[in-house]
Amino acid sequence: METKMVISNLLHRPTRTIISILAVAIEVGLVMLTVGMTTGMLSETARRVEGIGADIIVQPPGASFLMGFTPAPMPIKIGDLLEEKVEHVAHVLPVLILMNVGVGVNIVFGINREQFDAVTGGFVFHSGGWFTGPDDIIVDDLYAKAGHLKVGQKLTLFSHSFRITGIVEHGKGARLFIPLQTDEELNQTQDKASIFFVKCTDPGYTDDAISGIRQFLPTYPVRSMAEYTSLYSSNNLPALNTFIEALICIALTIGFLVIFLSMYTTITERTREIGILKSLGASKSYIMSLILREAATICVLGIAAGEVGTLGARRVLQSSFPTLAVRLTPHWMVYAAVLAMGGTVLGAVYPALRAASLDPVDALAYE
Amino acid sequence: MEPIILTSDLKKIYRIGKVEVPALRGVDLVVPEGEFVAVAGPSGCGKSTLLHVLGGLTAPTSGKVLVDGNDFSAMNDADRTRFRRHKIGFVFQRFNLLPTLTARNNIAIAQHIQGNGFNPHRFQAIVEMLGIQGKLNHRPYALSGGEQQRVAIARAVICEPKILLADEPTGNLDSENSQIVLNMLRGLNRSFRQTILMITHNPDAAALADRVLRMRDGRMLLD
Ligand SMILES: Nc1ncnc2c1ncn2[C@@H]1O[C@H](COP(=O)(O)OP(=O)(O)O)[C@@H](O)[C@H]1O
Ligand SMILES: [Mg+2]
Repeated sequence: METKMVISNLLHRPTRTIISILAVAIEVGLVMLTVGMTTGMLSETARRVEGIGADIIVQPPGASFLMGFTPAPMPIKIGDLLEEKVEHVAHVLPVLILMNVGVGVNIVFGINREQFDAVTGGFVFHSGGWFTGPDDIIVDDLYAKAGHLKVGQKLTLFSHSFRITGIVEHGKGARLFIPLQTDEELNQTQDKASIFFVKCTDPGYTDDAISGIRQFLPTYPVRSMAEYTSLYSSNNLPALNTFIEALICIALTIGFLVIFLSMYTTITERTREIGILKSLGASKSYIMSLILREAATICVLGIAAGEVGTLGARRVLQSSFPTLAVRLTPHWMVYAAVLAMGGTVLGAVYPALRAASLDPVDALAYE
Repeated sequence: MEPIILTSDLKKIYRIGKVEVPALRGVDLVVPEGEFVAVAGPSGCGKSTLLHVLGGLTAPTSGKVLVDGNDFSAMNDADRTRFRRHKIGFVFQRFNLLPTLTARNNIAIAQHIQGNGFNPHRFQAIVEMLGIQGKLNHRPYALSGGEQQRVAIARAVICEPKILLADEPTGNLDSENSQIVLNMLRGLNRSFRQTILMITHNPDAAALADRVLRMRDGRMLLD
């Protein structure tokens, strides 16, 4: 019976119902997309680093684990020494990293073909091939798709005009690769690398190799690939976490306010109806539960709309921005739903209490 | 036998800010079970207030009120709500049906609130007696005033209240519909020994009752 009442009330005021559902849907969508895009970006970056196929990562002292935030690069010689002197180290790939801030932030790897192939096993070319000159660039398939790029086309980065020589399967560290030497010139350095990717003779020797490298380079962060990629979580990025939390708060506030306003106005509008229920002997808890159920129904519909809408939005986003990774985990879908429900209940409690405590005689006289 | 309604020196004072409005200034009333009583009097003399107090919608300011053995002086808000739920049926001048529900659900909600669940036999009997079988799936806006009031009466009596309190039930009806509604109240009183207290301005309505009480300025007039 209460369900019938709730449904008939919702249907009786369709505009208000739809607007409220939409607000909850936006709340849920905002939470899921924010989290989905940040965690997607992080896990996608981590997977790309993993795809290099190295066992160990060596960074200069004081470097952030985030590639591209390296204060002073290391001499490439160090890499040669590791390869020569440390047991179980098979190959070392020095990379000089540049950050290209254009439409979004892109990391550019400055690499040498020989060392890159030795550590990673080489590119899978979709079209074209390796650098033939200093002004050549290799881009990955997703970057090419996003920019509608073809082999032979020009690409300007750091006010430098490059020619695309190859389009490769994504997943080998960066989306853009230029010759190490060109990179050094752009960077105005010589024989420097921002990161070493180390390949062991056998992955089983990783720990031994790490100890070996640490003896050589006691102040350098040396991490196994697993340890390194595990750093790619928002917990290691306090600013990102704060950003996510702020957006969740905003989303929650939107949901709370809309439900509050929606229920508050509906209570005023329905004062007489509440008076009628009271004249029939409805208790305070009966009336409260009626209002809360109505809010909860709006919320559930909003959550459903929000989650379906987010899944749809992800498809659209990923087909129009192929480099954008959106990761929607069941965990966060549940969390967004719980948050929305919490905001709804908070928003509906005061209107419900107000309705429950209306004076029946006044309510019945209400015009 | 003990009367079903007994009040003595019942007073009700409304406070609007600092102004006190004495709506009932000492009402003594005795109604035996099964009686059909009409209450008449000029507008503003306190008739509705008396009904609201007897139905537990509002607390008396002072005086004694005993309804079906319940002493109002010892009852709080929640007690009066429970009392109203089980013992009182209201009928209003403005029908007061829930606009979003069908006639059937308007009646059923009273049973639901009362908590004894749906009683199909009682439902059928009441619906037939009030002649609203064909209107059960209509919402209030699709019903005439007379039909709405009959649905409202069905809702009021569906849970077998001890007392039916009607506040000018024919006040918004034409004479033909008034007559139908009055006959139904009379019928309920006759066939179920339903105690009815009905406020009315209508002399025909008053004539139908067992007894007519007259009020003025918050008091009963003795005749
Ligand atoms: N809720 C209220 N608040 C303040 N004054 C009220 C209220 N209800 C009724 N009154 C006042 O009490 C008096 C009696 O009103 P009422 O019982 O409605 O009379 P009747 O039904 O006989 O017309 C009137 O003066 C009215 O203005
Ligand atoms: Mg009145």
